[in-house]
Amino acid sequence: MSAAALLAQASDPTNLWQWLSTSEERTVTGDIPSQVWVTLWHSVLAFVVAAAIAIPLAAFLAHARRAEVASTWIVNLGRVIPTVTIVGLLALISLRNGFGFEPWPIVIALILLALPPLYANTYTAVRDALPEAVGAARAMGLTEMQILRRVELPLATPLILAASRVALTQVVATEALAALFGGSGLGRYITFGLANRDTFEVQAGAVLVAGLAMTVDLLFWFVTRFIVPKPLRPAPASRHAVQRIKPTQSITIPINSLGGTP
Amino acid sequence: MSTRRKVTLVTLAVALVALVAFGIWAVGRISELDEATQATNPLFRWEYLFKRDRTPGELWEATRQHLELTIVSVAIGTVLSAVLAALILRFHWLRGIVFTFAGFLYTIPSLALFAVLVTYNTNWTAAVIALTSYTLLIITRNIVAGIDGVPQAALDAADGLGMSRIQRLRKVEVPLAMPVILTGVRVATVTIVGLVGISVVIQLGGLATYIFDGFKRTYSTVLVLGTVAMVLLAVSLDLLLRGVERLATPWARRSAAR
Repeated sequence: MSAAALLAQASDPTNLWQWLSTSEERTVTGDIPSQVWVTLWHSVLAFVVAAAIAIPLAAFLAHARRAEVASTWIVNLGRVIPTVTIVGLLALISLRNGFGFEPWPIVIALILLALPPLYANTYTAVRDALPEAVGAARAMGLTEMQILRRVELPLATPLILAASRVALTQVVATEALAALFGGSGLGRYITFGLANRDTFEVQAGAVLVAGLAMTVDLLFWFVTRFIVPKPLRPAPASRHAVQRIKPTQSITIPINSLGGTP
Repeated sequence: MSTRRKVTLVTLAVALVALVAFGIWAVGRISELDEATQATNPLFRWEYLFKRDRTPGELWEATRQHLELTIVSVAIGTVLSAVLAALILRFHWLRGIVFTFAGFLYTIPSLALFAVLVTYNTNWTAAVIALTSYTLLIITRNIVAGIDGVPQAALDAADGLGMSRIQRLRKVEVPLAMPVILTGVRVATVTIVGLVGISVVIQLGGLATYIFDGFKRTYSTVLVLGTVAMVLLAVSLDLLLRGVERLATPWARRSAAR
């Protein structure tokens, strides 16, 4: 081993904790708080846009019992296309047109990642809302919009929130891909670490990305407990849900929301 | 015109207008590229695909690597999931533990998992471990859900015929759960095709090599080729497994046309 390599090794941190606690060498990758912030900013923006598109659209269409087959096909196609390909392609197009590396390629890719689970689960939830309740509401003279807003959507809340939680977690976890195409975010530590063969940097990046995803997951779960209307609180596994919804959907994380392709 | 129809029409119209507006804006932006750049550096050079002798061989090799990783991980994942599901069905208290653990594995970002595992294993082992861990939640959940969903009447009939527990599982429960199980395998496979793309960071080849290579060299042809090839691979595997699902469950076609 050359003297230079030995010297470099001597100044390197000797364990993961040391890497995390010494910050002066992070000139290229940026400091941890700002990267956490960037990651969250990208993810939340993508999630909010996806939810704003998918939930109302799915709710209306499901209420009107429209476009069922078309939705299934589009959702399936959206789920099959890997996010890596979208980020790569968009990053290239963005660069060719002078938009730079960030943030649009990753944000658009994340929106596309979050759309299918949100759409599919909202559609299922609104469509399968207790028909007796919907019938009763109609008999009481509620207009169609009122039925959607006051009966179907509240009944659908548990499933929509469960799907949102999975979608948001996936979005936060997948944001790391931005770093593969020159973007910023927590994935940077992983890609730079792999490029420089810096094991601790790689491990630190992995711990940070996974930690952030799990924190967001737990936080969302915690918030969910307060948003769900009280009678529906024992979550999607309430008695009605188990009997009504197809067996594939009776488990806490709706089956529809799995299998996005990062 | 009924309200129902109005709601649908308005929603579709809004979606359409938004889509068209975005399309116009995007095309406008792209055509702003000056003509010279477009001429010297087009988005895709067909010569690369048809006139370059090495391309077909390289593409085939990348596809083979991609498929190999996918198939190995899904196969291991399916076997492990079957074992896990059997345990869950036999010992009900395991259900919560297994699903929480598998859910935890699913939450770990793939990039992070590859990166950490590669520091302890050879690249190939690391990739297979990571990929397999992602299939567990999807497949186990579907096996359990499928077998849970077998109608009580069918179980009673099996018992009435004097089947043993094993016979009932083999001849009644598993066949009836087959559509849901196969859906799980299909979703897992398609997910893994995407994830193998990320395993490029640990130098294992596969179609995504084209994407990263093209990006690094800013050679758009290579990147576009990789993208299209990967999407095609995912879509064709999806369709193939859908075909298998149909063949394996001939009775499903008659009862539920969905």
